[in-house]
Amino acid sequence: MSSLIPLVKNETIKIIKKKRFYVILLILLVLVPIFTYAQMRSAEHSREKFNGDWRLETQQQITDNENSLGSDRVPDEWKKFRKIIVQQLQYYLDHDVNPKEPNGVTFTREFMNNSVSLFIPLLIMAIASDIVSSERTTGTIKMLLTRPVKRWKVLLSKLITLIMFTSLIVLSTFVITYAISGLVFGYKGFDIPVFTGFQISGSDVDMSAVHAVPQWEYILMQSGLIWFVSLTVAILAFMVSVLVRSTAASIVVMMAALIAGSILTNMAAAWNSAKYLFMVNLQLTDYLSGTPAPIEGMNLTFSLIVLSIWAIAAIIVSFAVFTKRDILN
Amino acid sequence: MNSSNWIWRSVSIISAAATLLLIAGFVYAIQDVNYPQRAQGAGDLAESVKPPKGTSNDAIQDKKELKVAALGDSLAKGTGDSTGSGFVRRSVQEYSKDTGKKVTLLNNLGINGLTTTALLPKLEEQGTQYVLAKADVILLSIGGNDLFRGADLFTSVKNTSPNESSSSAVKKDSEVSKTSTQAKVQEIKPEDILKALPQASLKLQKILVKLREINPNAVIIYVGLYNPFGDLEQLKIPGNEAVTTWNNAALSLINKNGNMMLVPTFDLFQQNLNKYLSSDHFHPNGDGYQQIAERIVQSIR
Amino acid sequence: MRITEQSERKDNVVLSVEHVKKKIGRKWIIQDVTFDVQEGEIFGFLGPNGAGKTTTIRMLVDLIKPTSGVIKVCGFNVNRDQEKALQYIGSIVENPEVYTYLTGWENLEHFARMQPGVDRNRIQEVVDTVRMQQRIHDKVSTYSLGMRQRLGIAQALLGRPKLLILDEPTNGLDPKGIKEMREFIRRLADEGLAVFVSSHLLSEIQLLCDRVAIISRGKVLAVGKVNELVQQNAKYVVWNVAPWEKGRAVLEKQSDVEIVNHPELVLDDSIIAGMGEHALVTRMNEDRIGSLVTQLVHLGIEVSGVHNINPTLEQLFLKMTEGEIIE
Repeated sequence: MSSLIPLVKNETIKIIKKKRFYVILLILLVLVPIFTYAQMRSAEHSREKFNGDWRLETQQQITDNENSLGSDRVPDEWKKFRKIIVQQLQYYLDHDVNPKEPNGVTFTREFMNNSVSLFIPLLIMAIASDIVSSERTTGTIKMLLTRPVKRWKVLLSKLITLIMFTSLIVLSTFVITYAISGLVFGYKGFDIPVFTGFQISGSDVDMSAVHAVPQWEYILMQSGLIWFVSLTVAILAFMVSVLVRSTAASIVVMMAALIAGSILTNMAAAWNSAKYLFMVNLQLTDYLSGTPAPIEGMNLTFSLIVLSIWAIAAIIVSFAVFTKRDILN
Repeated sequence: MNSSNWIWRSVSIISAAATLLLIAGFVYAIQDVNYPQRAQGAGDLAESVKPPKGTSNDAIQDKKELKVAALGDSLAKGTGDSTGSGFVRRSVQEYSKDTGKKVTLLNNLGINGLTTTALLPKLEEQGTQYVLAKADVILLSIGGNDLFRGADLFTSVKNTSPNESSSSAVKKDSEVSKTSTQAKVQEIKPEDILKALPQASLKLQKILVKLREINPNAVIIYVGLYNPFGDLEQLKIPGNEAVTTWNNAALSLINKNGNMMLVPTFDLFQQNLNKYLSSDHFHPNGDGYQQIAERIVQSIR
Repeated sequence: MRITEQSERKDNVVLSVEHVKKKIGRKWIIQDVTFDVQEGEIFGFLGPNGAGKTTTIRMLVDLIKPTSGVIKVCGFNVNRDQEKALQYIGSIVENPEVYTYLTGWENLEHFARMQPGVDRNRIQEVVDTVRMQQRIHDKVSTYSLGMRQRLGIAQALLGRPKLLILDEPTNGLDPKGIKEMREFIRRLADEGLAVFVSSHLLSEIQLLCDRVAIISRGKVLAVGKVNELVQQNAKYVVWNVAPWEKGRAVLEKQSDVEIVNHPELVLDDSIIAGMGEHALVTRMNEDRIGSLVTQLVHLGIEVSGVHNINPTLEQLFLKMTEGEIIE
């Protein structure tokens, strides 16, 4: 009867007024400069090492790689990869771009790549784990559910709001990282070519499809994948938030799952069925950059299916529980 | 009330736009990963950047600081030297010791197996040009692969060679361990060595011209060839002949250009192959490189 | 006047609860609750802690689904037709939990968006009704409990409900606040609203309500008009006599007088506190006081005081829920 939009508006206003989103922005504003500084120091370090001339360094890297191309001991697959590296390095020289001194865009890309499985999900959880359980902790759920609105609509409005904020968080991470790192490293670099298309099957890397895309396109793809991962994490945290009464408990549950995921990623290669766990499939951006998946048999389609199934199951559980449950306290 | 509406309006619009953008990125990513299009390579995006100007034309002797760049084949790289220094690093050290000046090796662009044909396009690259343009001294070693590889020597010597090690020496750019098993048995034709000569020396000329173009002021030192097969009965004479012809051709090219010199190595190795050659019987060993380095230093002292 | 109004609207049942039962786990929390609330009346809901008061209220507003039985509001089943039924209910369940990080006004806006037909003017109207104009734009976290209570009522009234459910509305209020609240609720009822009030302050209920239901251990023990229920109750008389033993012996002999050995179980604390040490509590008809006094005096027993205790809801309650602890 009553439309969903006013409900979504309510939830949005609550998140903003509760300063949850500001906290996330604040975390980014504090942490990103730290990472930027670390990156700056390492850039300085390598600059000192090579007499301050990155062109010489880069040219030497090219020469070294070309030398290994001639060697029979180097497998052909590696040679392809080296050729790609040489191509990439050559681009830097041709465009007068210092690969070691990252520009804001490259830094942002790498930062986002590193934060997909833990950092961004953590930010997402700050909202997702709170969105239902906080209403229960404070008792406002009673006010919310005694309105002439069906329960599933209340929950759906929260889910929609969560999706909106998931997008906002991914966007903010990009914008803040770019803005801050750009201050130090410069704002240029959107058209640097980034290589993608590595197809990994088992331990073999198929380079036949490798191609370069401008960095802005790469970041767009990367952000899209991060968004999907974030959405899955958000929905799972949402379910936990429905099931668990306290926000803290709900965050702890999700954190445990995520950390378990990052540990498993590092050691589960032998345990094949671990690939069906959602937390092992969070590093979607690896498929883009060509980093081998932790467990054999994983590829983008597989991971997307696994994540989707988990997310859909979480949605079903959330709605089933939320609409049926007695609010006893 | 107003603040609520404002919050709602901005959050909803921004998040809707962000969501659409991210969905687009997501779809694009799936397409790109699952159905990659062989997009254009990096080079196509390239756009030339002006290489830096050459160094001033003060005489080397007057300079307080000397920048050295090396390019060419495995000799430039230093293959065979157990310390990995090669004549490039050794001459840099020697010169620095000798004169007390600060001598920096900008880059060693030596690549195993490089021929004149392969070197030419390298000189068009921004990175190479940048390095060369900065240098005061350019050390060049090229041509050995044109002569001995172009003649298909590396597949032909084994049968006729007096010992196993000298056969493997021929395949200069491969791993020592592999060559002996790999080499095909074929009769060596000394005239093949000579056949490759005219073309190669034409390319050497182009290389020298190009180098001068890139850096009008640097001293260009060309390391002459030696005959690594002086101890092989069949190859001694034709090898000597070819190497001498090449060196002479190179010398006449170099003489036409100012500020260039050829450092001869033929005589060094002629009677000292066992002493100066590394176990692959093709590349110099540490001592051999040291000798070359000393000659280079003498030439610019 | 009120009573006549009520009898005129006898069929205007706003809330009807029929044989509602609720089982949680293996335990029947609510074992059969039936009552009606009519338009314009204030209905009191009494019971000790754990009796099922809160569970019942939660069922009225669809926070809990009954295991069996039907709850209807203005003819709509609360558990099936939530969107229609809840439209007619305004409620505060337990404490008025509002969003403390929003202002009072923002809270009202929030709840207004969740029901049809509530615009800015209506919000302003409600704010005026609860007299919160001055603080409405302050953050709720700065409000006193009384302010929050009023904000809670404001949000309950937003949707122009036919039934107002208030759970312990005087909780945490000072005596002045309690008096204001009582008047306020009366005023709402006079405007035709049905008000359902639960409270453990029985004197409050007695003063406020037209009708009450008494619930204990998940069962409704009695439903009726306050006056009628109170009248059913036995009458108590307190005697101060000297010598005490002699007086007691005399009273004990009377067939129609019953000595109460544990007056604290049946009488209000305030009455017991005012009784003095040598008081005798009896259950008897007040008509007999005159002849008994004569008899006692005649026997040389001094009668220093005879107090007729007015029946109260609390006494009734204590009697009906004997032994149970009231909060």
